[in-house]
Amino acid sequence: MNVSLAVRFAWRELRGGLRGFGVFIAAIALGVMAIAGVGSVAASLADGIAGAGQTILGGDLSFALVQREASDTERGFLDAHGTVSTAALLRAMARSASGETTLVEIKAVDEAYPLFGAVATDPALPVAALLTQRDGAFGAAVDPALLARLNLKTGDRISIGNATIELRAALTNEPDRLAGGIGFGPRVLISNAALRATGLVQPGSLVRWLYRLRLPATASSDGAVAQIKRNAETSLPDAGWEIRTRDKASPQLERNVERFTQFLALVALATLLVGGVGVANAVAAHLARKRDAIGTLKALGASGGTVFAIYCAEIVLVALFAAALGAAVGAALPFAIAYWFGAIIPLPVTPSLHPLTLALSVGYGLITALAFALWPLGRAHDTPVAMLFRDQVSGERRWPRPRYMLATAAAVGAFAGLAIVTSTEPRIAAIFVGAAAGLFVLLRGVALLVMAAARRLKRPRSTALRLALANVHRPGALTPTIMLSLGLGLALLTTVIEIDGNLHRAFTAALPEKAPSFFFLDIPSADAARFDGFVAAQAPRANVERVPMLRGRVVAANGIAADDLKPAEGSRWVLRGDRGITYAAAVPPGSRVVDGQWWSADYSGPPLVSVERKSAHDLGLQVGDMLTVNVLGRNVSARIANLRAVEWENLGINFVLVFSPGAFAGAPHNDIATLTFADGGTTVEETALVKALAETFPTVTAVRVKDALNTLDALIGKLVLALRAASGVTLVAAALVLGGGLAASQRFRIYDAVVLKTFGATRARLVAAYTLEYALIGLCTVLIGVTLGSLAAALVVTRIMDFPFVFVPQQAAAAAFIALFVTLALGLLGTVAALGRKPAQVLRNL
Amino acid sequence: MNDISGSSSAGDAVMLNGVNLSLGRGAARVHILRDISLHIGRGEAVALLGPSGSGKSTLLMVMTGLERPDSGAVVVAGQDLRKLDEDALARFRGKQIGIVFQAFHLIPTMTALENVATPLELSGAHDALKRAASELAAVGLGQRLQHYPAELSGGEQQRVALARALAADPAIIVADEPTGNLDETTGHEIIELLFRGHRERGTTLVLVTHDSELAARCDRVLRMHSGRIEEPRMPVLSATRTP
Repeated sequence: MNVSLAVRFAWRELRGGLRGFGVFIAAIALGVMAIAGVGSVAASLADGIAGAGQTILGGDLSFALVQREASDTERGFLDAHGTVSTAALLRAMARSASGETTLVEIKAVDEAYPLFGAVATDPALPVAALLTQRDGAFGAAVDPALLARLNLKTGDRISIGNATIELRAALTNEPDRLAGGIGFGPRVLISNAALRATGLVQPGSLVRWLYRLRLPATASSDGAVAQIKRNAETSLPDAGWEIRTRDKASPQLERNVERFTQFLALVALATLLVGGVGVANAVAAHLARKRDAIGTLKALGASGGTVFAIYCAEIVLVALFAAALGAAVGAALPFAIAYWFGAIIPLPVTPSLHPLTLALSVGYGLITALAFALWPLGRAHDTPVAMLFRDQVSGERRWPRPRYMLATAAAVGAFAGLAIVTSTEPRIAAIFVGAAAGLFVLLRGVALLVMAAARRLKRPRSTALRLALANVHRPGALTPTIMLSLGLGLALLTTVIEIDGNLHRAFTAALPEKAPSFFFLDIPSADAARFDGFVAAQAPRANVERVPMLRGRVVAANGIAADDLKPAEGSRWVLRGDRGITYAAAVPPGSRVVDGQWWSADYSGPPLVSVERKSAHDLGLQVGDMLTVNVLGRNVSARIANLRAVEWENLGINFVLVFSPGAFAGAPHNDIATLTFADGGTTVEETALVKALAETFPTVTAVRVKDALNTLDALIGKLVLALRAASGVTLVAAALVLGGGLAASQRFRIYDAVVLKTFGATRARLVAAYTLEYALIGLCTVLIGVTLGSLAAALVVTRIMDFPFVFVPQQAAAAAFIALFVTLALGLLGTVAALGRKPAQVLRNL
Repeated sequence: MNDISGSSSAGDAVMLNGVNLSLGRGAARVHILRDISLHIGRGEAVALLGPSGSGKSTLLMVMTGLERPDSGAVVVAGQDLRKLDEDALARFRGKQIGIVFQAFHLIPTMTALENVATPLELSGAHDALKRAASELAAVGLGQRLQHYPAELSGGEQQRVALARALAADPAIIVADEPTGNLDETTGHEIIELLFRGHRERGTTLVLVTHDSELAARCDRVLRMHSGRIEEPRMPVLSATRTP
């Protein structure tokens, strides 16, 4: 086959304009734009995060210790390599003069802070002036949310622990904020000296000490950074600190951004798929218009293969144009975001062009166009020439030749392969591809069923209904188009909505009955009995559970370093950073031993440890294996005595690792406690308790579970909003396809309307018939879309997220209503045009 | 056997032998061509006359390889069409057969020049556009090369179609009621051009028409009825042209 000939002929076809390709171009451009946009924004975010590595990390290297400060040797090592800045992070209670209290996230810094970037405050003040002690109070810059929550203004004073703090400014930018993870309370930036004055720093307090190191300009190469990390690991192997370098300032943030954009990318792919239905329709309609030209070409010596090549080249050219258009808009997206929203989004965006991302999106556009166009194009191969000689059409093939079906399958395979191979989460991408393919087949099948049912129904007496039913099943009916495109879009949107609804419910409405109201952190062990007594008096109806709490990092298992362990995805978190650990004489409540034996209550031998079953399984650990954790700078090796099954849903105190008593003898630590009201507790009770606690135990931190969950819920809500917006784009694609389908059938509709009017049908009756038709198809689509979407959401919620699914009807109903409305509105818009035509004028031209 | 032979020699431009063709399925199946045998000599002009539905167009399609008969042999320009697959038939058509349709069937997105060049380009000719230009000049459209079909009158369009049919120097020109969509004067001009091409190039001409006057200009007239070619009742002008 001569490619240049095909392209030349295709070009001649296109020279006159792109009439008839509107929906095709819009559908491909929209999908490609979504893919290119998501990819470009993600890459720009990754660049931004990488470029701001020093700022996010707070130095070229960062050394994190928990519950203890650096020893003199460790500090000496750091000082020898450059400038060091210390920051301490902890949660504490802030109390206003009026006795209001709230949880805050403290960051206590030294004079060297920040080593990179700048602190911005309102009013703008230098860090020293912000934090220094003056008139009997230390200064602080605080998150504006704290001012609102405690009804304070700058200049007011609060107490934290035993210290008095003056709020000197609102904190508007904290350069190293992103490395910190989720904060459960507003930030309070104070000086190290202020922290000492609070009395919150006791041996064993849950303080995270960060030592940021800025290398001298002469020795700050990436190689130097890596070398210092290696030196630290080899010369101070027992430090147990977590070392991060500027090139991986926040692996968790990068991972989260990557994972989130991955989901957005899948939604973008769905947009392209929905648009594909429009592509198939547009190509079929285009080829139908070109039947004469195709026949003529064949009569003039073009083989079926040549005809296919010419029209395939045409479709590829149009698809390339559409994809380039979409890619251009997508490429501009990060620039637009940086320009308009740069100041308000909490992440650094470094917009630039990402040619590979754009090429990939164009590739997706082309493959999608081919996947949906090859089938109708293949049928063009067998366009009969006979119609050039006579009117009737005989022996037209419904199915294209096998080679075109194979080519279609290859394009579909290429789409699936590309989606899976280029994904950072191939498993999820594969599930998505499988689900999309299943949905396609299912929706197509249902469409055929609906048409078959409409065909077999007893002919109703009402003319309008009879006309409507006929329109549902006749050849060229809109039923498959609407059900596929709108059904797919609606199913996706419903999936997102239902997952969101269930997450929201899980975080807010349906706390487990046994869920605690409070977590209390940093209860000094020495004060434990007094604390118990205080709570018993203040909240006699509540149940308090108190356990020792230490922080430790798993450093090795069976002598293999943690870095070399390759646990399954679900348990990687166990090895990440430091984890809470405890010791206990008896099996903790909410868990049971499933393998091995619990130690005797008076056990005093070498350290033993109990490991949560799933984590042990993922890490490849069994009873009898050795596990080494670093606690307070000391490596402790313990033999695994048993495995436990844990009921995490109760939100109680559960630890992956529970050691035998005496494993950490002599290590200073505090206790952690939960408080559970038998009936869930009231806000009044809770507020009163926190207020009283803050007065009696100023150094104990109370985390209200409902607040923490609300914070998480709000965060997830923001992320889901982006997903919903992206799913909304899918519905736009569906509306486009629907509009295209209606336009394609408009000729038949005008013909029908004119003929029916000629025989006496009133406009009202015709409108009724068309309304019924769209309502019937729309209703079927909505039902199937919402059902399939809910099923998909139920699968994700129960199988992947591991909690029970409950159908949340309100928002799904709203989405369904919108879909139905769009179908009716677009359909009737077309009908009005059809009804407006004068019969005589149309009949003359028939 | 329904055998209407001009001269039966190896020099036949068209040779049909025992051709049968039915179209449609089941009850709707219609026997359209019934046992047709036919010889048309090289350079001969033959008119096909007959009422609507008599099978004239279908016979044309069989001759041009656009329709395969259920049985019987079809040899055109020395080529047994049964031996050609679909692609080979298309190539054969591009080189050996020129078709003129009643409804012109120009490709609306191509200029007059490109329309005429199409069969040449499809058969891989390198000087397609040059040859097309000279063919258009020969039918008097040398000044309208870059016009699109929509910018041409019906007569002009049919002239372009004629130039297109002649461009590849085919052995046979098949014309399906070429004046059916034209007024009388314009139709007359087209017929003149058609016969001129036939005369000057020695091309065999098969002309389907309703017009017996026009048919009379041909060397031989074949009348079709119900899928058969009737025996000539009377010689029209000269019975046969010796090759």
